[in-house]
Amino acid sequence: MAVANYIPETLDEALLLRKAEGAIPLAGGTDIMVQNKRGIGLDPILDRPVMIIAGLKELKGITLHEDGSVEIGALTTAGEIASSLVVPWHVRMAASGMGAVALRNSATIGGNIGNASPKGDLPQPLILLDAEVVLISFGGERRMLLDDFIKGSKKTDLRSDELIKSVIIPPHDFTYSYYRKIGMRKANAISKLSLSAAAVVKDGLVVDFRASSGAAGPKVIRSREAESMIIRRSIEDIPEIVPDFLDAWDRAISPHAMPKYRRNTTARMLTRFLEAIVNEEDHGIIE
Amino acid sequence: MPLTSIDDKVVRVDAEAKARGEARYIADYSFPDMLYAYMVRSSVPRGRILDIHLPQLPEGYYFISAKDIPENGRNELWMIGKDWRCFADGDVKYVGETIGLLVGPDRNILSYLLDNTKIDYEEEIPAVTIDDALSLKGGVIYGEDNVLCSLYCEKGRPMKDVFDEADSVFTETLETGFQEHVHLDTNGAIVTEEDGKYVFYVSAQCPFYVRKSVAGLLGLNYDDIIIRQVTTGGAFGGKEHFPDVLCGPLLVAESIIHKPIKLIFERKEDMLYSVKRHPSKTIFRTALDKDGNIMGIEGTIYYNCGAYLSASYVVLQRGVFHANGVYDFPATYLKGVGVATNTFPSDAFRGFGAPQTLFAIETHLDHIARKFGFDPAEYKSRYFLKKGGETVTNGHIVEEVKLPEMFKQIADASDYFRKSAEYGIGSGKGIGVSFYNHGGAFTGNGEQAIIKAHARLVKTGERVRIEVGSTEMGQGFQTALRKIAANALGIDIEDVDYPNPDTSLVPDSGPTAASRSTMIVGKIVEECAKEMKERWAEGDFSVEKEYEHPEGHPWDQSTFRGDAYLGYGWGAAIVEVEVDRITNEVKTVGIWTSHDIGHAIDALIVHGQVNGGVIQSLGYASMEKMENRNGHFRQESMSDYVIPTSMDFPKQEWLLVDNPYEWGPQGAKGMGELVFNGADAAYVDAVERALGITVTKIPIPGEDIEEALENV
Repeated sequence: MAVANYIPETLDEALLLRKAEGAIPLAGGTDIMVQNKRGIGLDPILDRPVMIIAGLKELKGITLHEDGSVEIGALTTAGEIASSLVVPWHVRMAASGMGAVALRNSATIGGNIGNASPKGDLPQPLILLDAEVVLISFGGERRMLLDDFIKGSKKTDLRSDELIKSVIIPPHDFTYSYYRKIGMRKANAISKLSLSAAAVVKDGLVVDFRASSGAAGPKVIRSREAESMIIRRSIEDIPEIVPDFLDAWDRAISPHAMPKYRRNTTARMLTRFLEAIVNEEDHGIIE
Repeated sequence: MPLTSIDDKVVRVDAEAKARGEARYIADYSFPDMLYAYMVRSSVPRGRILDIHLPQLPEGYYFISAKDIPENGRNELWMIGKDWRCFADGDVKYVGETIGLLVGPDRNILSYLLDNTKIDYEEEIPAVTIDDALSLKGGVIYGEDNVLCSLYCEKGRPMKDVFDEADSVFTETLETGFQEHVHLDTNGAIVTEEDGKYVFYVSAQCPFYVRKSVAGLLGLNYDDIIIRQVTTGGAFGGKEHFPDVLCGPLLVAESIIHKPIKLIFERKEDMLYSVKRHPSKTIFRTALDKDGNIMGIEGTIYYNCGAYLSASYVVLQRGVFHANGVYDFPATYLKGVGVATNTFPSDAFRGFGAPQTLFAIETHLDHIARKFGFDPAEYKSRYFLKKGGETVTNGHIVEEVKLPEMFKQIADASDYFRKSAEYGIGSGKGIGVSFYNHGGAFTGNGEQAIIKAHARLVKTGERVRIEVGSTEMGQGFQTALRKIAANALGIDIEDVDYPNPDTSLVPDSGPTAASRSTMIVGKIVEECAKEMKERWAEGDFSVEKEYEHPEGHPWDQSTFRGDAYLGYGWGAAIVEVEVDRITNEVKTVGIWTSHDIGHAIDALIVHGQVNGGVIQSLGYASMEKMENRNGHFRQESMSDYVIPTSMDFPKQEWLLVDNPYEWGPQGAKGMGELVFNGADAAYVDAVERALGITVTKIPIPGEDIEEALENV
């Protein structure tokens, strides 16, 4: 059952193929090739044609806008993101820990988002940063929070005539930042669990606080309920809030395998981050 | 003419072709009109086959099964026993058991046929673990008690008397898990016919094993079958007997179809449906006096053999014979029990049964030492075997044991005693130590009684060709053997050839296993070379010799008494770690090893073997987790069964002691397995000390460390 495959040369051609045939976009191919691998000498079985969009210049590149936001084209690779000077720290950390070098040079941000795996590396810090995704079709563009775009494991709001055009990360100025990915080994590993956290502290008051857990449920977990327990609180008040905050976070996540390890480690990482805030440690990255 | 000296470091003879991608592995081979074969396998761990529903097979497609074995043939693969069936017939004993082969020209059509082949089973309750087997869960699988094989050995006074006099008895159960070989080159074979003979091209360690194993399927003579080993990209024991399981069904198919047929495993098939290292459970009861001195050790060792015996009895023997490690205890009683379960048969894996019991004894001694407040290294060193010391099989150590010197090397290099005292217990930092050995070559008098290896050198003009059945599988043997021959002949390594073996052209030098190739086959080649050198002026001729057993190694295979091995390789390892208290991630900051491998044949090959063996052992201890639930392996890819990267164990300092072995070529002993046998226990010791936990089961990934911390 052979189906036609395409290599569009322009974004318009790609959108036409999307609209006419719902063609499946292949960017780096690091997910689609693995997911549809059937064996040596066997053709993949797909119900729609594949279009290789890796060459579309319109979807590449990283732009720092005047308002301080950073726009990353959907076809930008993890390797490019990891070595960028303008991409926020959390996202660079996640990009630099994806797979191995060869994979980082192929895998794209658009693919990592579109694949919507709860273990995906990039959505976790992007959701922490309230990143928005820009979707494009012949009908125009629409923008939405990435957190709303990813609906669950392998589920997104992408319409069959749309492509992911870019990701826009709003500006921020955190006092403290935290990122950890724990894999089954130190490199070239899928995430066992991950956590990003960030806070803005001014004059002893926590002005902003957020966290996001990867590989902890059907999608990246951000608990606004838990975050709001910390926001607008004075740092002296935090120690007594910590137990309730950790409880709230623990309720929000739903790790399937290794639940005890994932829950306990997440709690210890959040505790460490809050401890840094309370202790007024040097501003910057918390380890 | 430049000569090759044994102490020159040479570039591996196979390095360039492999680095350039020019080496041809089995997947690269193709023949005109070649067909492909897919295995139809059992999807249940235990049950009766009620019916096999095949889709309509197009012309040119075949389903080959037990019914296709001719009357003068037998449905058995002859490994050590003959119990492993070529095709399941009537019932199935494990998930992945071969039921049939689908053969035909188009893989897309074969895949469709495979997907649409349905088998009805009457399922039975499987026994998966050692405990399942011992409690006869689901009824017996084998014999009356599921015991496939067992043995014991004892030394010193009866343990009953020793226990009566002991101040205390320390009892502990230590367990190890499955381990997958993860050779980069997955299993594969091609069968064809040439000049009225069946010819196999196969990725394998032991071409003569394959021939022996499959001939009986068709009632053939060995000479009716030719095995040609192709360049083999890793094996680690996984291609010692397992190629038989591919070649058997292929032979039956070939006898009917008469066209070249290729069977290659996908990675997923290699993970789910191939042999693994035996999981083990060792129960030690150690008699101690009031000061913590060991009066005697009783050990009961269970190995999970899976559904068939394969090599398990020999693996178990090696496990038992290594169960007191490098130590000379006054009394011991060691019993080994290999149990049958409904898992894929366990088989050879680098170390061949020794790593499981060495992990157990090392970790057990660490725990005793800690209980009595001794430094484990100091405590263990009191019991080191010495030359003339008695082994657990009442044999004697015939060589100088250099463990004290080896330990000093790595203790100095790592600053062990300072760190051991400074880090203490539970500081987050830990340094651990282990000692280990590996008996060289086949157990007991196997080399003399069973294998009787032959090797041949053929001189043509100024070139010499080595003819042996031993194989290169990545370990460097083509380089080592050419170097041994060149050195003895006084010629350059470039003038020595050693092609991949073809069983119709070379004498049987025995299996490429048991760390015997350099030590045994290398010695025969060296003897051939010495004679050839003396007769060099005679023109073109060949020299063939048979293995000669060194005098003075008494062994009784019926009672397991005497010198179980001709000699031992010895090892000492220190591993230093830091554990992240938030995530339980273990960072290995230093690895120091010292090995006694006699005299090294090539420093570069030895370096590669040490680095690889140590990292594989550390993977075994830390992250290589293969779980079996209800008879099904849970890990099926290289992303869910992970092996270490260089980031995990980035730095190793490796040392050797020179201790020439009297009967080895240029003083060399075996070393391929030795280097796997001990780093795991040093790692576990280091992690235990860093966190103040007690570990009795490997591997210990972060989630298992979490559990252990809760028990502190």
